Amino acid sequence: MPIRLIFRNLVRHKLRTALTVGSLAIAVFLLCVLRALVVSLDAGVRNSTSDRLIVQSAVSLFVNLPASYVGKLKAVEGVDSVARLQWFGGYYQDPSSFFGQFGVDPEKFLGMYPEFKIVEGSRERFLTERTACIIGRQTADRYGFKVGDTVPIIGTIFQRLDGSPWEFQVAGIYELESIVWDETTIFFPFEYLEESLKGGAASGPPGSGVIYIHLAEGVNPVNIAAEVDGLFENGPQRVQTTTEAEFNAQFVSMVGNIPFFVTTIGGGVLAAILLAVINTMLLAGREQRHDMGVLKALGFSDWAVFGVMLGQGVLLCVVGGGLGIGLAQLSSPEIAKLLGTMFPGFEMTSEILTNACTLSLGIGLLSGALPAAATRKLLAVDAFRRGA
Amino acid sequence: MQLVPFSYNLRSLLVRRSTTLLTVVSIGATVAVISGVQALQQGFVTIFEKGGRTDVAVFLRPGATTENQSGFTRSSADILLKSIPEIALTDDGRPMSSAENYMAVRLFKIGGGETNVPVRGVQPMTMTIRADDLQILEGRTFQPGADEIIVGENLTRRIRGCQVGEVIRLNTVPFTVVGTFTDEGTFSSEIWGDLERMGDALQRSVYNRVIGVLRPDVDVPALIEAQENHPQVPAKVMTEADYLISQTGVISATLLGLGAFLAVIMGIAAVFTTTTTMQAALAARTHEIGILACLGFRPISILLSFLFESLVLGVLGGLVGILLTLPLNGIETGTTNMITFTEVAFAFRITPQVLGTAIVFSIMLGLLGGAIPAFRAARMTAVEALRRG
Repeated sequence: MPIRLIFRNLVRHKLRTALTVGSLAIAVFLLCVLRALVVSLDAGVRNSTSDRLIVQSAVSLFVNLPASYVGKLKAVEGVDSVARLQWFGGYYQDPSSFFGQFGVDPEKFLGMYPEFKIVEGSRERFLTERTACIIGRQTADRYGFKVGDTVPIIGTIFQRLDGSPWEFQVAGIYELESIVWDETTIFFPFEYLEESLKGGAASGPPGSGVIYIHLAEGVNPVNIAAEVDGLFENGPQRVQTTTEAEFNAQFVSMVGNIPFFVTTIGGGVLAAILLAVINTMLLAGREQRHDMGVLKALGFSDWAVFGVMLGQGVLLCVVGGGLGIGLAQLSSPEIAKLLGTMFPGFEMTSEILTNACTLSLGIGLLSGALPAAATRKLLAVDAFRRGA
Repeated sequence: MQLVPFSYNLRSLLVRRSTTLLTVVSIGATVAVISGVQALQQGFVTIFEKGGRTDVAVFLRPGATTENQSGFTRSSADILLKSIPEIALTDDGRPMSSAENYMAVRLFKIGGGETNVPVRGVQPMTMTIRADDLQILEGRTFQPGADEIIVGENLTRRIRGCQVGEVIRLNTVPFTVVGTFTDEGTFSSEIWGDLERMGDALQRSVYNRVIGVLRPDVDVPALIEAQENHPQVPAKVMTEADYLISQTGVISATLLGLGAFLAVIMGIAAVFTTTTTMQAALAARTHEIGILACLGFRPISILLSFLFESLVLGVLGGLVGILLTLPLNGIETGTTNMITFTEVAFAFRITPQVLGTAIVFSIMLGLLGGAIPAFRAARMTAVEALRRG
């Protein structure tokens, strides 16, 4: 098979080849990004561990659990430690610059989340100082917060009576070993919030939104979850205890049909590019009709001619797809930054890139095979007679 | 200036029908994606815009941006309910204002999974205020003081236990569904019941917001300012229309951003495709261009002729795209408002704006895609074209 002809033919129409490779690169890039969006939604579910349970109100996300529940949960056999978490729901400077803030029991929380690595500043300060906080890497970079800075957060659910913003001192910046949470959230001591409410410095609902349980080794999470649910079946607040994976999955399904929505867009992109490449290859096939007739007359086999046509399609798609994949890979840190809090687990996984490779190859084979099949059956005589 | 007859272009497109078809459908897929995203955004915005009344004021706690963040004690709410002169009166002289509570309650979807459904406790006056907006579809409305609820129409198809006669348990209290209702706005995704019964069941002693019908001649900005600095009960006041629009910001902006991003990226790819097709048309018709030039057609006419052909490709693509998107119109979907964490159901809407954007977009694709080949065609001299062809 005259392999050089594959290159020669592609180089013959530089503009067309460039445009087709360009649109392929764009489409493959887009498909990778869309796929990464869907995959990122599940990051918190995939990285969950089975030794953490989450207790929340069975009624509503916005109903807090009474303070007395903490002690009752600690007493359950198989429970290693218990940490309270409270969604703070405030904002920094402007409601549109959104990132999550939680009041937590610092020591218990970090104890059950070894995934949190304090990479700058002091873990000790966070554990001991009342108004200290730790900030995720993404939020720290986005707003330029440094260790020692004071971060003013304007309360919405919890408001200070004097009207001033809440102030937290950055004790440390954390990164995550696996995306089980996100790197945008601020954590501060729950006790600070609790004291402010009790002391009358601030207003807002008492209690904590959820309680995290860390299980002792070898305990069956399902049994404990059932036991905890049973404990509060008759109120005052019924609870729902779930594994971390289920809890995170609730939030994913809440967003609605994003996976379906994004996959549909991806289907549109794929259809557009597939047709475009097929078009290019059919044009190429028509133009090379005469040449292929010559090859056949010179004695090249039908399959050699088939290979030349198919090879062009494949090469086109391998180059275009490769560029797209490279672009997706290179730009993914920037895109992750841009998406910030909306898709905290955005990551270009090797699985996505591998799938993109397969897809590009598939488009190449399909688009090359159409003109190649026609060319294979072509008789040299016909090619000369009807050739362009 | 003599233009090349349009029929020449149309016939040329017809002769190369497989290429024309592939290009048109490829552009169509691009247009369909962009239109689909925009139809989603339009549907989302419509539901918030339609429901909002400009003659209804919403009172929230200062600093709160949504009603679930807001809260008034009973005594503050009472002051708001009774002592605001800007609020209209009923025929028997009572102020047309009402306190409401609001909470996202965990309920099960019909297809499996959980979601957060907004539950609203209202006072009888709310039903008077909403008399024209809300229509009971089935059953009747709830009795004040009873453990009864009415369910928005959108929920009956999505959430378990929402048929008339069924029972929904809020915390430990069972509530009977006695009716379903519809409304043009977001209320159709809510459950309504008696304020005090809801408050008891959900253990909420505070009210979330107060609403009131404004007198026709009220100076709204003045009221907003006066209430902000009110000595007893400072409150944030908005018209209901403004309140609802402020709720759409993030999702609407996200969808518009996504649409724009896709339009640029996929648009570039579509322009490349069109250029490829037109370039091939040019290559195949070099001889014909030579003949046109010999017949005396000016380069500008040849340029316009090729641009027109490409424009036709674009517009046909746009039409295919619209045809592909049309079946979406009315399809219902839901998303969670990430500020209130409640689910809102809404439908895709193919509005004139969506159609307009699709047409303009496809015209642009056609013109940009045809530019290079048209320019090249116009630059050919008759002799060169005839020889090369």
